[in-house]
This record gives sequence, structure tokens and C-alpha cells, in this order.
Amino acid sequence: MKNYDQITEEIRKIAKKILNDKTVDKVIGFGLGTINQEITPLFISKAEGAKKLVFNKNSHMSLAKYLLNYKNEDVAIVAKPCDSRAINTYLSEKIINRNDIKVIGIQGCPGIEGNTACLECEVRNAVISDYDVGEKISKKKTNQLKEEKDFDSLSPEERFKYFRNEFERCTRCYACREACYVCYCKECFTESNQPEWLNKSVSLNENFTYHLMRAMHMAGRCVNCGACELACPEGIDVRALAAKMYNTATEIFDYKVGMDQKQKTLLAEYDVHDSEKGFME
Amino acid sequence: MSNDFEPKIAAFLCTWCSYAAADLAGSSRIQYPPNIRVVRVPCTGRMDPFLLIKAFNMGADGILVSGCHPGDCHYLDGNLYARRKFVMLNELMQFAGVKKERLNFTWCSASEGKRFADVVNKAVKRVKSVGPWQGFDGKGFQSKEGELISEEL
Repeated sequence: MKNYDQITEEIRKIAKKILNDKTVDKVIGFGLGTINQEITPLFISKAEGAKKLVFNKNSHMSLAKYLLNYKNEDVAIVAKPCDSRAINTYLSEKIINRNDIKVIGIQGCPGIEGNTACLECEVRNAVISDYDVGEKISKKKTNQLKEEKDFDSLSPEERFKYFRNEFERCTRCYACREACYVCYCKECFTESNQPEWLNKSVSLNENFTYHLMRAMHMAGRCVNCGACELACPEGIDVRALAAKMYNTATEIFDYKVGMDQKQKTLLAEYDVHDSEKGFME
Repeated sequence: MSNDFEPKIAAFLCTWCSYAAADLAGSSRIQYPPNIRVVRVPCTGRMDPFLLIKAFNMGADGILVSGCHPGDCHYLDGNLYARRKFVMLNELMQFAGVKKERLNFTWCSASEGKRFADVVNKAVKRVKSVGPWQGFDGKGFQSKEGELISEEL
């Protein structure tokens, strides 16, 4: 596994090369923000700018969402393993074109500091990639960091209480939505007036409903990258519900999100012999 | 208290099978409890899980969704898409702490009037066993007169 500096060097080298020979018009990557070591998205169109690209322990944001702003341009994007799965999902949902994008895939991602999702990560190599940086980790090593929160040992009442305590703090700033690559709807259900899914007031009842509805949109599309949790200014365990959806898809339907660009999303497909877990009788 | 409690159950019935089954139960004079509030939907495939979450948001004590048996869908595969959604929703709601007794999913064909009555009986029994739904905030639901709606019935 290569460290952050080595990966940064490789990203810069590749970005410079593909901008020089005009393979792409733009490279989307991570750059240093105003505060030391903090990260901001960086859009580079000249080869000289490639030296500004970095990859460090704070590179938590999901850049995949920026692809939607450059739909008809040739762009290259720096993708962590989770972002590469997000790109695969976009491709399978046919909202971006494979020929328009080049992926600089980070193989053997060293993980992001403070991101609990990285501890549960099963895929630490980019699943779609035109240019590889870093080096692949063998399958054996990928599960080393696995560590899940133990919700199963709690009773429904305890879980209900836990989530009430969490969502009570929610101010509905929608930072989790903005950070999430899944949430690209032009009109979000939170802003819809007809039908009015959510009351605009911030109360526990509405907050809880918002998080349940968001989790339901995540079902079979969330790649469990943890961007929502890191974006939350209140430090709410936003990822828990989405992670549950992710794990349920794996357990019940043997479905892994974003592993293949031809794979349909979970709820856009069915199998005649699907499980009826939880049905009456 | 729990014996007097009459739950309100939001029942989403597919127009081709379960709604017809409810109709048949009625015309065959089979009795079933009046606790369900029927919403007629064109197909269970049309059921947005949001509708079910919203039902809880607005104070339903439980939900009942019933459609055609798998393979019998009027639109060929609507209920097969629906099945996956319900499994995911069920897992999500239970994980968030909503008791499984409040979530009732089943299939009823148009000829199963008796079965429909049984399903409603069972659903009402299940919801009764866990008592009134107090909302996601646990405060209960107030009617205009300031009384708890679930006690008003």
C-alpha cells in the first residue's frame, strides 16, 4: 500500500500527461484549501496546474457528483474506490457517458481520517479505472479493517431511542444531501410542495421522517462512503440508516452497489424467487 | 387500556386484486374490523415507500399493503418490483425502531374475500398488541381539541 505522498505524485504525473496531450479538457481532483491540510475540489484545465493536485488523509469528499456539471466535456476525475463505485452507478443509471470520462483510480486506498465508513470498507481498489495510481491490495487484506457498530444487540426500543437522540440535533441543513453522490434529483422530495412529503418546520417528527425517506432513496444505490457523516455539522450518525440499507441489500439480495457498470440498481430489477422476508404469514 | 384501543391502519390495496377482494368480502357479508382506512392504488408497483413513511408521520398506527399474488399482477410484474421495496422498507423501519407488528405486507387475490377478512383481522390484532403509535417523536398526535387522536376513536 502506497502512502498519500506517493499517490499524490502519481496523480500529478498522470494529470500533467493527459492535459498536455489533450486527452481531456479538465481534471477534477483534490486541492489544498485555505486551512492547512483541508481539502477543496480542484478543476484543472492547464498542465501547469497539475502540481496543485493533492491526495491526503482529509480527502473525504465524493468528487463523482461534479461529473454531472461537465456532462458533455471530456473530463478526468480522481476517484477513490468508493467514488469509482459511485461512477459505476452513474454509468448504470445512464446519466453520464463512459466515453466522456477518464477515471484516475486510486488503487489500495489508505483510507480517510475520521471516516468510520473506511473501517467497514470491503473494496479498497478502484473498480473502474483508466489510469491506475497506487498499488492494488490483495483480497485477503481488504477485510482487515472491518469493524461494524453493534446495532443487532440493541432492542427496537433502544434503537428507536438512539435515533431519536441523533435526529433531535438535526437542523435539516441538508449538508448530507449535498455531499451525497446519490442525491442528484433536480427537485428533491424535501423541497416538493405537491405532494408535500415533509413539513418545512424542524421538529423531531419531521427530522426522523426526512432521514427515513432519504435512507429509502439510498436503498440499493448508497455505496457506504461516509461522505454524509463527515459533512454533518452536528455530528449525527447519518450513515447508520444508509449503511443498514447497504448491508441489507448484500444480505438478502446478494447485491453489491456499483461493482459493475452494467448492473441495474437494486429496486429497478426483480427476481421471481426474491425473498419475502418480513411479510405476513 | 390496550383492550379499548382501536387502531387506525392505513391500508393500500391494489385495485385489481385486493380491492376486489375487499369488495367480495363485503358482498359476501364477511365481517372484518372497521379499523382499516382503504387507499386504492392502481398497482402495488406504484406504491412509493414514501407514502408508507408519510402514513406514520401523519399518525397511522399501522400500515397494511396488499396486492396481487406474485405472478398474477395485472401489469405483469408490478408486484415483483414492489416486493423488493417492501423488504427494504421493512428492514429499514425495524432497524430505526418501528415495531414489526405495525408493518403488514401481504398478497390477496380477487377471489379471496375470506382471506382478506382474515388478513385484516390479523393485522388489527398485530397492531393492537403493540398499542398506539406515538409518532417518531414519541409525543403522540393531537387533534384540534387537544386530545390524543388515537384515544379519540
